[in-house]
Amino acid sequence: MNEMWDAVVVGGGLAGLIAGIRATQRGKRVLLVTEGVGTLFHFSGIFDYGDVEGLRHLPKHPYTLFDSQAITQGKHFVQEICPEYVVNDRPQSAFNVLGTVRQGDLMPRSMVLPDPQEQGVFVLLVPEGLKDFFPEIVADNMAREFPGWQVSVKRMQVDALQEWTRLGKSVTSIDYADIWRSEEGYRALAHEIDEIKRQFQDAGRSQGKIVVVLPSLVREYFDASRTKFYRNEFSLPVLEMSSFVPSPHGRYFAEYLKHIFTDLGGELMIGARAVSLKGELNSEGHAKICQELVVRSMGKLMRLKGKKFILATGGLLGGGIKVGMARRSIRESVFDLPLFIPQEWSVPQFLAPQPYAQIGVETDQFMRPLDPVSGQVVWDNVHVVGRMLAHWDPWTQRCGGGVSVTSGYAAAELI
Amino acid sequence: MDSRDELAARLDACQKCNVCTAQCPVAKVNPHFIGPKGLGPDMERFRLGQTIPRETTLDDCSNCKTCEVTCPSGVKITEMIIEARRAASKAPHKNTLGLKLRLRGYVLGRAEYLGKLGVIWPTMTNQILKIKPVRLALDKVLSISKSGPLPAYGKPLEVLVGKRPKIKASDSKQVVYFPGCYTRYNEADTGQILIKVLEHVGYKVIMPDFHCCGLPLDANGQFEKAHKNGLYNLELMRPYLEADMPIITSCTSCGLTLKEEYPKFQTTSAQLIGAHSYDLFEFLWQLYEKGELPLDFQEVKASYGYHPPCHLKAQRIGTPVVRILGLISGVKIRNLDAGCCGLSGSYGFKAEKYDNAMKIGSTLFEAINVGAGRGDFQEITTECGVCKVQIQHGTGIPTDHPVRILAKAYGLIN
Repeated sequence: MNEMWDAVVVGGGLAGLIAGIRATQRGKRVLLVTEGVGTLFHFSGIFDYGDVEGLRHLPKHPYTLFDSQAITQGKHFVQEICPEYVVNDRPQSAFNVLGTVRQGDLMPRSMVLPDPQEQGVFVLLVPEGLKDFFPEIVADNMAREFPGWQVSVKRMQVDALQEWTRLGKSVTSIDYADIWRSEEGYRALAHEIDEIKRQFQDAGRSQGKIVVVLPSLVREYFDASRTKFYRNEFSLPVLEMSSFVPSPHGRYFAEYLKHIFTDLGGELMIGARAVSLKGELNSEGHAKICQELVVRSMGKLMRLKGKKFILATGGLLGGGIKVGMARRSIRESVFDLPLFIPQEWSVPQFLAPQPYAQIGVETDQFMRPLDPVSGQVVWDNVHVVGRMLAHWDPWTQRCGGGVSVTSGYAAAELI
Repeated sequence: MDSRDELAARLDACQKCNVCTAQCPVAKVNPHFIGPKGLGPDMERFRLGQTIPRETTLDDCSNCKTCEVTCPSGVKITEMIIEARRAASKAPHKNTLGLKLRLRGYVLGRAEYLGKLGVIWPTMTNQILKIKPVRLALDKVLSISKSGPLPAYGKPLEVLVGKRPKIKASDSKQVVYFPGCYTRYNEADTGQILIKVLEHVGYKVIMPDFHCCGLPLDANGQFEKAHKNGLYNLELMRPYLEADMPIITSCTSCGLTLKEEYPKFQTTSAQLIGAHSYDLFEFLWQLYEKGELPLDFQEVKASYGYHPPCHLKAQRIGTPVVRILGLISGVKIRNLDAGCCGLSGSYGFKAEKYDNAMKIGSTLFEAINVGAGRGDFQEITTECGVCKVQIQHGTGIPTDHPVRILAKAYGLIN
């Protein structure tokens, strides 16, 4: 046998890509298998870590698997691969797409809000026909959040999208993000901002802070040409808003991570569905050693041999856990790992912490899957990362990015 | 299995997340296109209720399959669209496409006949296709874009079969090569190089007189002819498939057709074709894994940008060419992965689609121009013949099939 991957990562979301990049960066030969794009297309652009110290006191929460140094390392890794994300001691604030303020632990510099104690003007720049964007509500919310600030709304059109406007067709923020990156789009935007500046100067407001707020702008990541970060030369400061779905931040970030991964020498196998694992008992006779992952490609099954396997298939939302029509039929879809399943799946209050959020795979401190009944390691060389881990709730604990980055990074260190 | 039932089952897997439309190269440049989710799963609900849309709506899809590869839930989006086209071509209002467009479908679908005609006197054909008034006439009469990069013709690849094909108990190992129309009629030397490479790694190559795989016919609404071609090719392959011989493709679209479409036919060889079809580099990598690939590589000092064709991605085998070329010392290869080239078979040759096809390719062209400008690489390599033609058209950077790099390393060509 000539070939064996050092690691086969299953799943191309945040945790899988972070694991793949870190392992490749460490000189490992890594294959990343993913069925489609991951849930990064729902990414707001902001990493939430939640109340790390508080969560570390919850029994079995994924944060209990890591020391605080590992968590910080993960954050710094994000900053390393994407320098616009600056690690900060305290949470920072950004506008979400409704114009309300949301906190976040790791966000791009260009999203961080100015000090509300200061005084200034927000000019909400509204691209014509932007899908699911409601300028009046956004402006109202911004004014409420920043009482000392004046908020004005300015609409703009882009020539390239004239036909869209004529048809009355809305434009997604992903398409707008693309436009701003084009030479033509950049020029249109720069011109519009110059115009805003001039108007304020004419009105005698050359003093004081004027901040342009623009939804659909993504400046942090280079594109397929590997060189072009978004150009930042505008005559006024421009504030990005966090993304909504389908998310331009998510799309660009996913592409960016994918390019970093393949440029480092990792291989991406996209569109392939992992179907099963083959392995045998280790010498001590309890945990099994996985030798190959069976993947359905077009026409045939492929057997991918690896030394280690990382499961990053994303839990219920990402499709890694399948729930059948029959009541309580639920299984982990690749490795058929035993799952932690709470007694009751849901509680009546919709926004209350829902027990089903805790469904996932229990692991030992090396993120190896455990049998919840016997407490024994099931697979010796499989590490489970991200949303697939049990005992946490990204929605009410607001730690989705934190758990995914930390576990992905930590798993890569074990390869 | 009834493929309609299977498609209907997959329809329910669509969660309406819109990621396919966000990634669709056509939707990005054409506001009139409702996108893969709209045209595929959304409208499929109406089609299941026997509401058949007109072909013109369905015609905007370029069949690149980016949506299918992107979908996190395995929905067969393009397949639904092509099936709908098939239904529309049989529907009562089937004559909605004017004579001109139907005639064009007839011409562009027949890459093979064009090839057979083109290679009779290639220099003449190529000269004629360079004449501006000829291209203008093609544009006016057939709506074939006057600016589209129509490929040049050369001497065709010769068929390779013994008088009585010996299959059993042969001394040397054998493979069947499915060259595809582009290699056969436009770039026979690439085919010859590929055959040399396969021989060098220990395989005797059989190349029966295959017809076009059928993909360009399907894409241009010539469904019956595509079906006939498929049956014909499968019958030619039957003895070899029954003898457990691999079928090798070097064109990623032919490869996809063999792997995805042929298994749907109701013949015995159709049941064997899926598991026996290999992309060239997929096959070579399998040899390497078994320790059977000769590693007598000479150093090749060159840097390449690699464009993974959409239909390679759709085969779901990763990028085996990057792995194989990575074994050769001196070769530097960067997987550009900058999206669809825009040509998508014959889509970009169509007059009304040419501009959008160039817009679709612009991201890739830019990645190539920036990389080449910075000196990261001097040439581009890609498996797909029409991607190659479009890349050269869009950037002017020399582009070739990766088998040439391998042949160089094996010392088979200079």
